[in-house]
Amino acid sequence: MPAPSIRYLVLSITLLIGGIVPSRGHASPDSLYHETRSSMGTTVAIYLYASTRARAAELFEVAFQEIDRVEEALSTYRPTSEISRINGTAAREPVVTDPEVFGLLERALDYSRLTGGAFDITVGTLVRSWGFFRNDGHYPSPDELATARAKVGWRQVALDRATRTVRFLTPGIELELGGIGKGFALDRAALILRRHGVTAALLGAGQSSYYAIGAPPDAEGWRVVIPDPRDPDRALSTVWLRDRSLSTSGNAQKFFELDGRRYSHIIDPRTGEPATGTLRVTVTARTAEQGDVLSTALFVLGPERAARLVEQYPEVAALLVTDHDHRDPVALAWAEPLAPWRR
Amino acid sequence: MKRRTFVAASAAAAGSSLIGIDALAETLTTRSGAPSDELNVGVIGVGSRGQYLMQLFLRLPDVRIAALCDVYEPRFAEGREITGEETAVYRDYRRMLDAERELDAVIVASPLSFHREHMVGALEHGLHVYGEKAMGHTVADCNAIVRAAQESGGQFQTGLQYRYAPWYREAIERIRGGEIGRVTHVYGYWHRNYNWRRPVPDPSLERLINWRLYKEYSGGLLAELGSHQIDIANWIFQEIPTSVIGTGAITFYHDGRETFDNVQAVFTYPSGGTHVFSSIIGNHNVGYQVNVYGTGGSVKLTLEDGAFYYEPARANSAVPQALIERGVHTSATLSTSGDMPYRGPGLPIVIPEHEAGNPNFLAVASFVQSVRSGTRPVADEQVGWNSAVAVALGNEAIRGARYVEFADHLGSKE
Repeated sequence: MPAPSIRYLVLSITLLIGGIVPSRGHASPDSLYHETRSSMGTTVAIYLYASTRARAAELFEVAFQEIDRVEEALSTYRPTSEISRINGTAAREPVVTDPEVFGLLERALDYSRLTGGAFDITVGTLVRSWGFFRNDGHYPSPDELATARAKVGWRQVALDRATRTVRFLTPGIELELGGIGKGFALDRAALILRRHGVTAALLGAGQSSYYAIGAPPDAEGWRVVIPDPRDPDRALSTVWLRDRSLSTSGNAQKFFELDGRRYSHIIDPRTGEPATGTLRVTVTARTAEQGDVLSTALFVLGPERAARLVEQYPEVAALLVTDHDHRDPVALAWAEPLAPWRR
Repeated sequence: MKRRTFVAASAAAAGSSLIGIDALAETLTTRSGAPSDELNVGVIGVGSRGQYLMQLFLRLPDVRIAALCDVYEPRFAEGREITGEETAVYRDYRRMLDAERELDAVIVASPLSFHREHMVGALEHGLHVYGEKAMGHTVADCNAIVRAAQESGGQFQTGLQYRYAPWYREAIERIRGGEIGRVTHVYGYWHRNYNWRRPVPDPSLERLINWRLYKEYSGGLLAELGSHQIDIANWIFQEIPTSVIGTGAITFYHDGRETFDNVQAVFTYPSGGTHVFSSIIGNHNVGYQVNVYGTGGSVKLTLEDGAFYYEPARANSAVPQALIERGVHTSATLSTSGDMPYRGPGLPIVIPEHEAGNPNFLAVASFVQSVRSGTRPVADEQVGWNSAVAVALGNEAIRGARYVEFADHLGSKE
């Protein structure tokens, strides 16, 4: 069944915004403002409370400028980005990069280590190959897969902290930071908004990554509804997000079929093949960067290994919906109530 | 790096330095690992532009941001976040220049009205300067900076980074080669739709943070945005204007600002060329673009790319015989097709992948290469002066809504 879960998530947030009006005589006279812009290959939305429309416009501008700045450094769609420069050079020689980009790469490789390679910033080549195979309507041959897999592997990225250099140990390696960069950009924009005194805001990239600063007046958090992927009118769970992130991986609409078998769009970097068994993962985490990375990794790992990974992060909770209708969603440290699962 | 040891190398390598990723290979890869080879850079003005430049400098081998100077203390933590270390900080640039004996170069990214003091101060300390555009607030400021640069023996590079953009360089080389005929007009635009304000934590900090909006510190849109287009027109015509007429107003944002939120200036060049510049910050439609018009075609340059367009051929090569037999028909209809704007994509300027690069990064890397090798920067003090005096005199024209002759103001320089 088609499950437009993503659209529903947007709808929930829109309704929520309409429903909250600061009460008269409240200590905070701020009003809610909203702006969306196309950025990072998706739509970025920011909701925030500010004293005036002019003040809100200034805050939106600094926040979106920060997102643009991060995108300019990380996007592989831009030949002028720092990551494009690294991709073009690091197989030949070590490339010096600035502390911000270097730190992000260090954290990305740490995540690869901690997830046993389920998260991998070098997987882009394989993702593109599968896109090609899919459009071509065939399952890749072992040779085709082996060729693509030879250009993937986080262990082939060598970082030297003393010189702040990046080096690829195998030719053909390419970094693609989509799985961590959007979250990082949201975290940076949130930091900038906090620096400018914002105490209540919700930032979203597409409908897959959110970060909440504080909460709307008189609310315990920003309400985010996680729909039942099989029945979008029905909420599986509701999170009141506050000073935390929420990320979702796996889009019920984005599965594809080959030879009668269903494949997700998320490639398991360890096997080089599309991850199977999981329909959708939602993670709440300390930062959007952490949430984005872990939602992808948990999707790839599946419920059993996901449980072990979540145990290592006391600040992380996850909700996994498996690809088996008879199996209940797997709640890992998930505090919010779950609607009963209909079989 | 001991700054006086490498200046000697400059004589042999005089002339303009090469630019582009390939030409910068040495600067991007040389790593001796010896602390004596490290280039120590100080920063005066750690605002948004200063922070961005710091990040670019830190993408180069053997470059260290050694000291930060700003009058607004929150900038220290922001700057240290970028360097990733407890970088020395100063509230007074003079103390920084006196105390930091190991500095080789300084980035000046302070408000425009302080450029002269900060750039001349750094040059007089024998330091190389990467100085943000516009070079100076007034013609006198620009003259003083050029004099200090010439007397110092160090390198001065102005922050006009499109001089280093591969697609600009390619376009201008082809324009020089005659590809669009004789160039007569440059139309430069920088239109945006936002109020150009930064959020201010406390009203007492308004003029410090939003200095761009106040005439005492700022040349407004013509300086902060138009200095690029003016530089590009100077580059294309290979000369500087002789006169300018201008106008401007506060049309959109009646919020106490002093600099106009839209300006229009028309510069005339000695050989007959014209540059029409417009900046509006209440409508985004045209964004940033530089349109170069020649008798045989046009070039459109943006912040990311560029394209060539060719004028339709006008001379008919053959007379259609049917015309003689059938004659022509007459009607009152005016055909619009001959006057419709061209709506196709143009012929894009293609830059090979290995030559692509962020103009800001290429500019910074070229500066470091100039410092290390002693070669003169492409965007040197003369390029900076050429743009900045046109900005200063353009602002004279805009503020008085009048015609300004350059010769009346530039006598002392020539």
